[in-house]
Amino acid sequence: MGKGNSKQHQPNSNESTHNLKGTFIAVMLLGVFILVSWFGFYALFLSR
Amino acid sequence: MTKVQLPLSKKESRLYMAFMWVTYISLFVGGLMGLLQTLVRSGKYTLPFNIDYYTILTVHGVILGLVLTTFFIIGFQFSLMGKTVGISDKQLKVAWLSFWVMLVGTIMAAITILVGEASVLYTFYAPLRAHPAFYIGLALVIVGSWIAAFVNFRQLYVWKKAHKGEKSPLPAFMVIINMLMWFIATIGVATSVLVLFIPWSLGYAETINVLLSRTLFWYFGHPLVYFWLLPAYMAWYVVIPKIIGGKLFSDALARMAFILLLMFSIPVGFHHQLTEPGIDPTWKFIQVVLTFMVVIPSLMTAFSIFATFETTGRRKGFKSLFGWFKKLPWKDVRFLAPFIGMAAFIPGGAGGIVNASHQMNALVHNTIWITGHFHLTAATTVVLTFFGITYWLVPHLTGRRLTPRLNKLGIIQTFIWTFGMTIMSGSMHIQGLLGGPRRSSFSEYAGGEQVATWINYQIAQAVGGTILFIGILLMVYIFIQLTFFAPRGVQEYPIAVEEDDAEPTPKILENWYLWIGITIALILFAYTIPVIDIIKHSPPGSPPFDWLIGR
Repeated sequence: MGKGNSKQHQPNSNESTHNLKGTFIAVMLLGVFILVSWFGFYALFLSR
Repeated sequence: MTKVQLPLSKKESRLYMAFMWVTYISLFVGGLMGLLQTLVRSGKYTLPFNIDYYTILTVHGVILGLVLTTFFIIGFQFSLMGKTVGISDKQLKVAWLSFWVMLVGTIMAAITILVGEASVLYTFYAPLRAHPAFYIGLALVIVGSWIAAFVNFRQLYVWKKAHKGEKSPLPAFMVIINMLMWFIATIGVATSVLVLFIPWSLGYAETINVLLSRTLFWYFGHPLVYFWLLPAYMAWYVVIPKIIGGKLFSDALARMAFILLLMFSIPVGFHHQLTEPGIDPTWKFIQVVLTFMVVIPSLMTAFSIFATFETTGRRKGFKSLFGWFKKLPWKDVRFLAPFIGMAAFIPGGAGGIVNASHQMNALVHNTIWITGHFHLTAATTVVLTFFGITYWLVPHLTGRRLTPRLNKLGIIQTFIWTFGMTIMSGSMHIQGLLGGPRRSSFSEYAGGEQVATWINYQIAQAVGGTILFIGILLMVYIFIQLTFFAPRGVQEYPIAVEEDDAEPTPKILENWYLWIGITIALILFAYTIPVIDIIKHSPPGSPPFDWLIGR
């Protein structure tokens, strides 16, 4: 099977390949999702 | 991280394929039982030939939860070891012994269940008593898996002796962690089966300590779910980066995550027993806190995966914040199936935190929410990753290729699975919050008002279950194609290498004495006092109950 990526550009400098802003935001969103869902179920627990 | 991949000999490949065969036969049998269960629970179907609902429920749980998983994992792990540290002829012979012992145990347990002598569900809670052959069969499966574990330990030991001072290959390190965890955890269930259940089922002991048997089961039961999950993590850490054309983000981070999972997977069984009377709430609370520690390696894994995706994408020149995400190889089933597995772990993990949250557990404990939860974690996250591995592992072992047609069928299979599971697991979660019970066959419970709110969700589960069974048929078809009919060729065994500029892995991460020592210390801390309490203060043991399960 192919690698899937059609657009291959020149390799960038180390600085830009180690730009992990997207990773940081994605992991933070994951944390927010866990907290929001937990407090949602906690509210349900309190209401019963 | 080793840069050398060893070739797998034909002799080896035959062993690894034997494990795959049992996996896919189990998938078919267990999946069929699952379909029948959802149909019965829809209230529109009755099982023929007087077959009992709890018989098929037990077959489903044992064959999928214990047999499919254990065979796939041990087979896949053997292949990882063979690829990175090698296997000698003598080790191979012992590995075959592990296969046969596990298979004989499986057949013994399966026949006992199928003839209606062991409708005790996969948790085999006392005081329901199965025929002794059921417990002996399960004990053999465990003994067989121990033989496999010791072969794995020996494989790494031999490699280390020949490569003094070198760090072990990451996949081999991960396999050893998983088998260590499995060995330490199964000591609990083996003790329970050998000391409590077998003498009691044979009539040598008149009564059984129910609470102790359940505690020993869950001492094993929680690490069991991590035993399923860690091979999926292995694929996410070392296989997926290679498939997307990238590198492993950090060898040291991966090892640290696995060590934390070893330490915090075992001393946490009480979070499955939060409604259990007879266990001091203080110890339940302590184990709840230890359970929450598992969030750390899970989030480390999430970070590492996102970082691999982003680094790979940026190296290919994608500059926007999430541009790299769009360019992942979505049309490659070796990536897509495990990716959906990862995505399912987000709600699956969040649900798990709810389950483990002591008092909040009361909201969901005996409800079908729990069933929905483990169909998201085990039957989606783990199973889709195992399918993703199958697409390259089986042709690699049989000397064939994953063709574009089979890749496309795999993508269709992945979507069928995702669609079916979203309906089934989603409706289980909602019905659970409405109070719908788990484990039970169809009942109108004498027409209660609340009961009327459940039936539509049960019908939805039958729809989802039917879609999933179509997915199973397609997956078995793909497995047969990859085994016998796909064109001859070479299919890559994808193992990623580490980033060139990664920090060196600290030697302490391979200090087995330290990590095993901490693991045992945590187990002793979390279990010693409560188990002494349980033994000292338990009510009189229970005689067996056979008539409840139609024996």
